[in-house]
Amino acid sequence: MGRLNGKIILISGGARGQGAAEARRCVAEGARVVIGDLLDDAGNALAAELNGAAVYVHQDVTKEADWDAALQAAEAMGGLHGLINNAGIYQPKRLMDTDAELFERHMRVNQLGCFLGMKAVVPLMEKSGGGSIVNISSTAGLRGSPGAIAYSATKWALRGMTKAAAVDLAPRKIRVNSVHPGPIDTDMLKVRTAEENEQRLQFVPMKRMGTADEIASLVVYLLSDESGYVTGAEVAIDGGSTL
Amino acid sequence: MTPDEEWGLIGKVAIVTGGGSAGDGIGNGRAACILLARAGAKVMVVDRDLALAERTVAMIEAEGGTAVAVSYDVTTSAQCEAMVADAMSRWGRLDCLDNNVGIGSRGSVVEETEENWARVMHVNVDTMFLTCKHAIPAMIRSGDGGAIVNISSISALRPRGLTAYSVSKGAVIALTQAMAVDHGPDGIRANCVFPGPVYTPMVYAKGMTEQARETRRKASVLGREGNGWDIGRAVRFLLSDQARFITGQVLGVDGGATLVGPSRAS
Ligand SMILES: NC(=O)c1ccc[n+]([C@@H]2O[C@H](COP(=O)([O-])OP(=O)(O)OC[C@H]3O[C@@H](n4cnc5c(N)ncnc54)[C@H](O)[C@@H]3O)[C@@H](O)[C@H]2O)c1
Ligand SMILES: NC(=O)c1ccc[n+]([C@@H]2O[C@H](COP(=O)([O-])OP(=O)(O)OC[C@H]3O[C@@H](n4cnc5c(N)ncnc54)[C@H](O)[C@@H]3O)[C@@H](O)[C@H]2O)c1
Repeated sequence: MGRLNGKIILISGGARGQGAAEARRCVAEGARVVIGDLLDDAGNALAAELNGAAVYVHQDVTKEADWDAALQAAEAMGGLHGLINNAGIYQPKRLMDTDAELFERHMRVNQLGCFLGMKAVVPLMEKSGGGSIVNISSTAGLRGSPGAIAYSATKWALRGMTKAAAVDLAPRKIRVNSVHPGPIDTDMLKVRTAEENEQRLQFVPMKRMGTADEIASLVVYLLSDESGYVTGAEVAIDGGSTL
Repeated sequence: MTPDEEWGLIGKVAIVTGGGSAGDGIGNGRAACILLARAGAKVMVVDRDLALAERTVAMIEAEGGTAVAVSYDVTTSAQCEAMVADAMSRWGRLDCLDNNVGIGSRGSVVEETEENWARVMHVNVDTMFLTCKHAIPAMIRSGDGGAIVNISSISALRPRGLTAYSVSKGAVIALTQAMAVDHGPDGIRANCVFPGPVYTPMVYAKGMTEQARETRRKASVLGREGNGWDIGRAVRFLLSDQARFITGQVLGVDGGATLVGPSRAS
């Protein structure tokens, strides 16, 4: 018995990494998924792997028209019950090394993308009887993250938008929660060497990185009806690193 | 009933303190017991009042689950030690602990008596210290790490005139996070669930007016009344393998009540 039986879930940035793990888990739990990303080859391959339970759409989260296209794909499947705002970029630079262009790029993908996504899905979710939105922030949205001011700014913004949207959307039976991953073993961390990533683990009480599949487990809980009374919550999944 | 494998709880051993509930009502502890058993765990239902724990076990056995009712008063170290030893000798291991025992209070520091203040701190905080003190070494000996959930309250974050209770539930959060740091390297995870105003025997057994119930329901931005199952599902999730990279967290199950801080008549 799947925990997401009959649900239709839209995942932005779902072609690889955490988004792909979430797509696989949602399908394993009985959902069908719409995967959006810029990476067409990876996205199409994943949709083919999920064989009938997934469609891939080319989607740049900064473009409203691309959200419309993703929503059309969901509507063609029969509705929408979940959104994972997962697309993101991480180009860590210290304050004095960050220029306006780098700052704006993070704002557009991580923050504007999440805002456009939340806004775009509301009518179809409401028509589908309500739903659950999961915004993928970061531990960089819970504390001062070293050397990544633009990224931090956007991930704090996601945390705040989550709470404001949770209040706005509650009357429409839409729940909104944020997830704050610590170091997770995906391509995103390749901005640092394996050695540098290893070094940072000394600050993690559980002494290891998390996996994309572990994030998917939390996301499944938040998408499912098991968390029907949970909204506006923030959950770090970081082996204790923000403590 | 075949338990879902994905929780990773099949054959695991869980202790739930305060796992009884008045009558046939579904309290937070009872709901957690039933859900853990459905996921395949062997559940030790601990209650000071054995009859209440036995009722929970009857509900579990009716579904084909495994559970035992035992009476321990978790306010003393000796009883907590005996409780853990009981689980270990009965089932040979200990994996999960839901610290659900808690009592309410009413009044400001000016109104509160010293005796009652001490009693609330003792029942709500010391019990969690004592159960963990004995459970953590047993979990480590069991070889698979362990998971603890301590039940805090929305009152820790949004106080409404239940001052001693608020303080005790705030301490529960600090205790949980400190244990997460101390025992993370041992593979022990510790998290809190903080319920909002949920409708359980703890709050309605002594009588609750329809008006008070309605005020509590409306405190949720979702406009829906929460219940013991909502809390139980969060507890099961955090105790399970589904949460194996989550520690030191404070998960609100409050229908969004903390977002807006409305009146909820305590
Ligand atoms: N890996 C970590 O340690 C970590 C930690 C905290 C938070 N996160 C967050 O988790 C989320 C997923 O990251 P990941 O670890 O899977 O990394 P990833 O780089 O593998 O995945 C990010 C995905 O987003 C897509 N994407 C980027 N810009 C896009 C755009 N404009 N439109 C649509 N898609 C776009 C990428 O193509 C990629 O598939 C991100 O929001 C990230 O910030 C990651
Ligand atoms: N219901 C709510 O609205 C709400 C809100 C916030 C927090 N909580 C918390 O939830 C927890 C309790 O929830 P519940 O619904 O299971 O309550 P409950 O009253 O149904 O069950 C508590 C059980 O604990 C037992 N108990 C009390 N003291 C004990 C002791 N010293 N040793 C052993 N057993 C003892 C009682 O006999 C009772 O059966 C408490 O920690 C409470 O503070 C509840």
